[in-house]
Amino acid sequence: MTSTTLSLRGVSRRFKDTLALDALDLDVEQGELVALLGPSGCGKTTALRIVAGLDNPDAGQVLVGGKSVTHLAPNKRNMGMVFQSYSLFPNLTAAENVAFGLTMRNETKNFRLSRAQELLEMVGLPKHAKRFPHQLSGGQQQRVALARALAFEPDVLLLDEPLSALDAQVRANLRDEIRALQIKTGTTTIFVTHDQEEAMAMSDRVAVMNAGKIAQIARPDELYHNPASEFVAGFVGQMNRIPAAIDGDRARVLDSSVTFRPSWTQQPEDLVALVRPEALRLELAAADSDAGNATVVARAFLGPMSKVSMVLRDGTEVAAVIASADSTEIVSGSSVRVTVKDDQYLVVAA
Amino acid sequence: MKLLSPRQLPLTIGLFLASLFVLFPIVSATEFSLREPAKNTHGFDNYIWFFTAEDFGKYLGISLGLSVFSAAILLVILVPTVIWLNLGGGRYRGLVEFVSLLPLVIPVVALAIGAQTALPGFAQTNESILGFMFAVLAMPYAYRTLDTGLRAIPLRTIVEAARGLGASWLRTILSVVIPVVRSTVASALFMTLALSLGEFTLTSLLHWDTFTTWVTTMSQSNILGAIALSMFSLIGVFVLLLLISVFIRPTKSNVVAEEN
Repeated sequence: MTSTTLSLRGVSRRFKDTLALDALDLDVEQGELVALLGPSGCGKTTALRIVAGLDNPDAGQVLVGGKSVTHLAPNKRNMGMVFQSYSLFPNLTAAENVAFGLTMRNETKNFRLSRAQELLEMVGLPKHAKRFPHQLSGGQQQRVALARALAFEPDVLLLDEPLSALDAQVRANLRDEIRALQIKTGTTTIFVTHDQEEAMAMSDRVAVMNAGKIAQIARPDELYHNPASEFVAGFVGQMNRIPAAIDGDRARVLDSSVTFRPSWTQQPEDLVALVRPEALRLELAAADSDAGNATVVARAFLGPMSKVSMVLRDGTEVAAVIASADSTEIVSGSSVRVTVKDDQYLVVAA
Repeated sequence: MKLLSPRQLPLTIGLFLASLFVLFPIVSATEFSLREPAKNTHGFDNYIWFFTAEDFGKYLGISLGLSVFSAAILLVILVPTVIWLNLGGGRYRGLVEFVSLLPLVIPVVALAIGAQTALPGFAQTNESILGFMFAVLAMPYAYRTLDTGLRAIPLRTIVEAARGLGASWLRTILSVVIPVVRSTVASALFMTLALSLGEFTLTSLLHWDTFTTWVTTMSQSNILGAIALSMFSLIGVFVLLLLISVFIRPTKSNVVAEEN
């Protein structure tokens, strides 16, 4: 299968008053799946459309395998794309849709038919070849769209929030299938999403975008445990914001004296510690003692883990994720003592 | 649905009365048009009368020609416009909608006078002026039919998908856009045809003769024949409507089928 590196070099795009992309640089290795993750309006879809050739950059270059495709029309780029909304041709059957790219490449009819069948089998719809799009469910339509995008062995696969129109169950299944298929075909892939869970679960690397730039690009673990900025820390995963003070090379958070890393702060006062829910430790406190520093609002059972929502004495809302087995006695209204495990948290200025 | 169940009974009675209301005059008119008073029997004399009338073919031909002409004008103007509106010119939709509504707002008399004074001389010397005017009159309906039909299709995404899959602009239009919009265009086309065929006011105001004005003139000399002619027109329109439903298969919607 053909796979190629994809690079964006200083790509900028301005729409009237807003700078959608600000000198964006991005390198996607051969066979890699990189997610572009960010809030709406961060430029991720614009970046994808520029790679596809559906939009033109004001500056910068798009390179595939080292060659510039910046000024090539979309039909000359050999890229497969799956869109957010259903984009199958309504007048063609599933098989004809899958074969469309091959038809455009003047492949023989026999080859088109067998290849379409092969791809439909790959996406789990071998018996749906003769169905029209309106006879398929949303998940099935997106599977066909994926098969269509892969049928002609594209250099690059572009996924523009392909799962966001689907319901949760279908979404989770298709997510795993797309990833499995991408690994199997070894197609260099860009995946645009605003769903961080999706991005973390599917990607080799995640590029968190903000205001037309990449705030950080890293493996999901790295991104989660070592975010490069407050924005990334807040955007990826859940984060508690708890008042803190610096005391020498230690920080005081929730009566715990702990080390902190990395720090973005210059001033020693009015600080906030960013703490992951799983970095908090809970102990039940007797109702009449002063040991408790928080009151439980609710406990949500999530299987092996439970999420406990609390309010600190100063009114700060925090959430902790702890083993369900350790929290069976914690109920709404319980007085608890919250402390911080001495790892995995950051300190920033308020 | 059981039409005679207690719940449906009022509906059934209503439908029955409504169909009487529609069918009774038609049946009566048909009966009337088949009368042959001289022989005191029923027959097709009245139909034969207008079929063999000197100018029947001529005026029917003029009317058919004009409707085809006006439909062609509208297609050439509206199809690219509406496709463009749905592909990227969406912010001009308000303006286009406003313009397309004007023919409904402006009285036909004003349109007629406007046409008489504003159109260039060559367009005033033959019936083709009516083709242009019919196109104007049918525009509100044709525009709305086209726009509603195209809005139901995610045309922009489909076009981008085709481009991304390797289709040139020409191939995108030929093998994707046209097949997708075909049924919508067909309904706009028949709408225009039917409207143009039945237009009377403007034609009469501008002193041209088409099938409709000819029918009016003829009806003054032979009342039975006039009814027969009306029945013929009615059936003609019915056949047109039938053609529409044959040409337009159910619109392929993007309604999501149930997950299975």
